[in-house]
Amino acid sequence: MSKLILCVFLTFTLIPLLCTSFSSDTPSDRRVLVLLDDFALKSSHSLYFNSLHSRGFDLEFKLADDPKIALQRYGQYLYDALILLCPTIERFGGSIDAAAILDFVDSGHDLIVAADSNASDLIREIATESGVDFDEDPAALVVDHSGYAVSASEGDHTLIASDDLIKSDVILGSKKIEASALLIYILIALCAAPVLFQGIGHSLNPSNSLVLKVLSASPSAYSANPKSKLASPPSLTGSTISLVSVIQARNNARILISGSLSLFSNRFFRSSVQKAGSPIKHDKSGNEQFLTEVSKWVFHERGHLKAVNVQHHKIGEADEPAMYRINDDLEYSVEIYEWSGTAWEPYVADDVQVQFYMMSPYVLKTLSTDGKGRYFTSFKVPDVYGVFQFKVEYHKLGYSTLSLSKQIPVRPFRHNEYERFIPAAYPYYGAAFSMMAGFFIFTAVHLYNK
Amino acid sequence: MARSTSKDAQDLFRALWSSYSATPTNLKIIDLYVIFAFFTALIQVVYVALVGSFPFNSFLSGVLSCVGTAVLAVCLRIQVNKENKEFKDLAPERAFADFVLCNVVLHLVIMNFLG
Repeated sequence: MSKLILCVFLTFTLIPLLCTSFSSDTPSDRRVLVLLDDFALKSSHSLYFNSLHSRGFDLEFKLADDPKIALQRYGQYLYDALILLCPTIERFGGSIDAAAILDFVDSGHDLIVAADSNASDLIREIATESGVDFDEDPAALVVDHSGYAVSASEGDHTLIASDDLIKSDVILGSKKIEASALLIYILIALCAAPVLFQGIGHSLNPSNSLVLKVLSASPSAYSANPKSKLASPPSLTGSTISLVSVIQARNNARILISGSLSLFSNRFFRSSVQKAGSPIKHDKSGNEQFLTEVSKWVFHERGHLKAVNVQHHKIGEADEPAMYRINDDLEYSVEIYEWSGTAWEPYVADDVQVQFYMMSPYVLKTLSTDGKGRYFTSFKVPDVYGVFQFKVEYHKLGYSTLSLSKQIPVRPFRHNEYERFIPAAYPYYGAAFSMMAGFFIFTAVHLYNK
Repeated sequence: MARSTSKDAQDLFRALWSSYSATPTNLKIIDLYVIFAFFTALIQVVYVALVGSFPFNSFLSGVLSCVGTAVLAVCLRIQVNKENKEFKDLAPERAFADFVLCNVVLHLVIMNFLG
């Protein structure tokens, strides 16, 4: 009896959980698998994990070589996101390999990869497939002799304080500071603590247009083994070195690739930072804020758009027609919302465009918005008939891609839809009929003139 | 060679007119009919230059009805002219019947094309 009650209780408590986890209406990830080299990372990087946990993520920690780990069971993925904090792993346990992880991303799930110097070929392969190439020298670190972080213990300038962040509020979050302009400059100088980084640099594959540098190295940085003498010019130099990159795949899966594992560590989170040559000493590095905000982006708590309620109709009518006629005037509207992590909020922008498309856009109009998520416009159907599409292709840095298309045929005028008599043509009608009348009169005159 | 003057021109037109006066009446009627068709066509061409060629099919049929009428009338004039030896075997009644038939066909086509 008690077993039965337990069963019923479990079912009822699990139903809402299962419902939320399978609902596509909440794009944020919930179940996250964290693969570690060593369980010591769980405590040494606990601040980062706690920030995820406090935002409602269900973290599951496993050793990367645990033979029982699996990403999917019976064709269903067990997790929404994967965090790989295992830079040295040569072979995952269980059924996971690089292809399985890429399949995981291909099916729309998110991934965070932290590499480090001595990153394994497996991690490098995953990174290369994502459009990021780590320095091939396994002992190489990013060295910066002018942008290093002043510290008592480390003298080889591999601990970098970088503040060269991507300028995108949607990826990094906006710090809402409301004050006069001068005050803002002072606050930014004081607040924006540099991010501490120690690890391997990577470059972006130029043929991959989806990958973005989020944290780049300064122009004076280079990537080389700091312990050996620099014999030949380093392969990666300057601000082409990316320290942290993000990728948003075409299916809106998001990937973060970092060249440093210690970027996530409690030591860097808590450490004070003073950039070489700068008089300001920050009590706390920018790592915590940077990683919290980037993780929010990667786990779709920000910058995820959805479009609903696409409507179009003739002006003055309410119903959507099955077909338009050339030169009809129509209205098009769509609602776009952004996921804020807890609710869908109206997305406000002035650059959403709709195309009326058949092989090429015949009409391209910027939609106006009412500020409550509704975007609308009206235009005249072109004087061309055929099968058209209403297309919204919205690609904006940091936001998930919106790609809507709705097919609609456009027909020409029917024969009985033309005007029977055109006033401009009355002289021609008159001419034709006067010629006929003239013919009759001429006939009569010609016959009776004897 | 004497210099030509306005008097010469007047003489020329007078001679032309007096020789034209000798033309049989039925041919003069045909000439009048051709002139009527010509001016109707001219009015339409002026109109299309002013207003634009929007109902172009109507314009074409209006002008072509005039042109067709004039062409058929000229054909009739050639055939019923007694001085024209080429058609002396052809009866004027036969020529007129051809003219009527062609006009019927012409106006059927014009009505179809008018709009």
